[in-house]
Amino acid sequence: MSDTYRTSRQADPREGEPRGHDMNGPYQTTQQADPREGEPRGHEPGWERVDRRTAAVSAVYSLAVVAPIVLAMSKFLADRDVPPAGIVAANAATALLVIGATVAYDVVRWRKTVFRVTAGRVEQRSGVFVRTHLSIPRDRIRSVDITADPVRRVLGLATVTVGSGEHAGAEGSELRLDPLTKDRAEELRRTLLDRGERSRQEQSAEGDPALATLRWSWVRFAPLTVWSLVGALVAAGAVYKALDLIGLNLLSWDVTRRIWQELQEMPLWVAVLLVAGAATAVGTLGALALFAETWAGYRLEREAGGTLRVRRGLLTRKSLSLEERRLRGVEIAEPLLLRTGGGARVRVVATGLGAPREDQHEQVDALTPPMPRATARLVAAHVLRTDPAAAFDRLSPHPPAARRRRYFTALVCTGLGFVAVAVLDTLFTWTPAWAWAVPALTAPVALALATGAYRGLGHGLTGRHLIVRSGVLARRTVALDRAGVIGWQISRSPLQRRSGLLTIRATTAAGKGVYELADVGTDQGLTLAAAAVPGLLSPFVERTGPPPPGG
Amino acid sequence: MNELRLRQPRHSADPRAVRYWTVDAVIGAVVVVVPLAVAYQLTGRPAALGAAAAGAAVLAVALTVFAPRVYYRAVRWEVTDEAVYTRSGLMVRTWRAAPLSRVQTVDTVRGPLQRHFGLADVTVTTASAAGALKIRGLDHEEAARLAEQLTLLTQATPGDAT
Repeated sequence: MSDTYRTSRQADPREGEPRGHDMNGPYQTTQQADPREGEPRGHEPGWERVDRRTAAVSAVYSLAVVAPIVLAMSKFLADRDVPPAGIVAANAATALLVIGATVAYDVVRWRKTVFRVTAGRVEQRSGVFVRTHLSIPRDRIRSVDITADPVRRVLGLATVTVGSGEHAGAEGSELRLDPLTKDRAEELRRTLLDRGERSRQEQSAEGDPALATLRWSWVRFAPLTVWSLVGALVAAGAVYKALDLIGLNLLSWDVTRRIWQELQEMPLWVAVLLVAGAATAVGTLGALALFAETWAGYRLEREAGGTLRVRRGLLTRKSLSLEERRLRGVEIAEPLLLRTGGGARVRVVATGLGAPREDQHEQVDALTPPMPRATARLVAAHVLRTDPAAAFDRLSPHPPAARRRRYFTALVCTGLGFVAVAVLDTLFTWTPAWAWAVPALTAPVALALATGAYRGLGHGLTGRHLIVRSGVLARRTVALDRAGVIGWQISRSPLQRRSGLLTIRATTAAGKGVYELADVGTDQGLTLAAAAVPGLLSPFVERTGPPPPGG
Repeated sequence: MNELRLRQPRHSADPRAVRYWTVDAVIGAVVVVVPLAVAYQLTGRPAALGAAAAGAAVLAVALTVFAPRVYYRAVRWEVTDEAVYTRSGLMVRTWRAAPLSRVQTVDTVRGPLQRHFGLADVTVTTASAAGALKIRGLDHEEAARLAEQLTLLTQATPGDAT
């Protein structure tokens, strides 16, 4: 038993400002009367229904349930010598039942779902069994996303998701309008995100608002991302499932054994090459397909009202928007493979982004597809409204002691490898000679990684941003808004103390929550941190006299 | 050689915290060492288990006798008009600073053992997922005063703290 007393920020004095992880969010998922019921009702359009063609959509989707049932039942009945007419009748009855039930449920859902946009809020009443009333104040709306999957697209429909950015993805934190007509969805998006005349003028002055549009040559980077692996798995899974449905078990025991026998009859190197080649081919195909599906028609633009909008998708079209005042910076990510190919991608560092939802292949913070590094730098700088050269070209290196530390770690790891093999050698009398080759081979890899890790380290400070670069397997360059830094964590291990190094972490409400500046020189780091956020750290920094600090 | 460094925060923990941490460590040590020793006796005294028990015992002595005193010297805190500033860490020293304008919650925690020693911990969180600052081993009345003061200062600053 322990007592915990918590006091937190109470009412926000500036109503309408975004709040972080407040305890009492803006949602009311209750059945009670809206506390703001008394506000002026001058131009309320009244309650509105979602599009009635939702019944057609659910009918089409119910086929996904019907198809396997029909296939399984046909096989079952055919095996028992039921006449074809009987099979057809049984199938038709089942199909009608399933489709009918689904459509009926959806019609009830449709009848019970109403929404309205008032001067102050967006509200939705929904729920067949449990009635919910979801209400989001309009000034808290942070995103309005539109998704149109192939079925809805054919019918000219789309799903609108209104998020207020807090606890994104959590139950009840989003308002989903499914479906609306394409035009109504777009109109709603504009209404809810556009917040004034000033920004509209600003946009007309800017001309073409597109910050980036897709070039199909970027597809060459697709196989260099982890999505090539995911894509391969997705593709293989889909094919396997489809074949399984029609009764073809691709990976049955017989087939597997035959493939295995064939492989064993070949020389080893041919078999290895063949398997590796097949895996690469499937992976590449999957990656290309996934790239096309995700990024076809990609367009990143800055909109009136201070919103960044990403539009993309081949079959399923998506429009994702992010309020610029949630933006705390951008990240240029260069995983090793992508970096080798000269590519990079840009992500946002923003508050209130949740974990990716299940149906999203792409992470919520992805701002661009993989693209050439130079383009990524330009896009990142445009998003931040800053000069790319000033932001990303003049990063200061970390002291040589940081390099020594990385080599030291590499050597320790290699040494541990040798020790491990030595221990194995003494415990078991027979250890193959090649076991010694493992740590011997890891040595150059470890040293190469150490060199890369040191080269990756860098930092800089511009008028508005703190730039932090690190990483060798996944190199990240993060430009963090200095006004978004809400604290410092500075740590020093005994070894770092001997080398005059520090690790400085900037904490922020956005993205990962903390961005690290590893192994920076003591003077260099403290000067940087004190300058980056004026007044926060400087009262605690002092100059020492000749004797080294004892702290 | 004129170097920059972080000065130490003004206040230390309450001296009674040393005793509390010692008792806390003893309880932890007993929970680990005793079962190991019993198992060693019951299983026909295998060498590996004996070594583990002995090692745990040595570690336990170090943690109960020395660690609380070292920790007491390491842990420091300070609250200015603008910021909370703490230092902590037995081996790896960590200094943390957060502006009061970004503080979101102030928690005081008192476990049963802490209550016995008249102590409390104060946790100050910001909007960052990694931004919590802990002030450990305070006199419980001082902790309550501090929490109240922090809350007042925090509410005096407008904004969303992100």
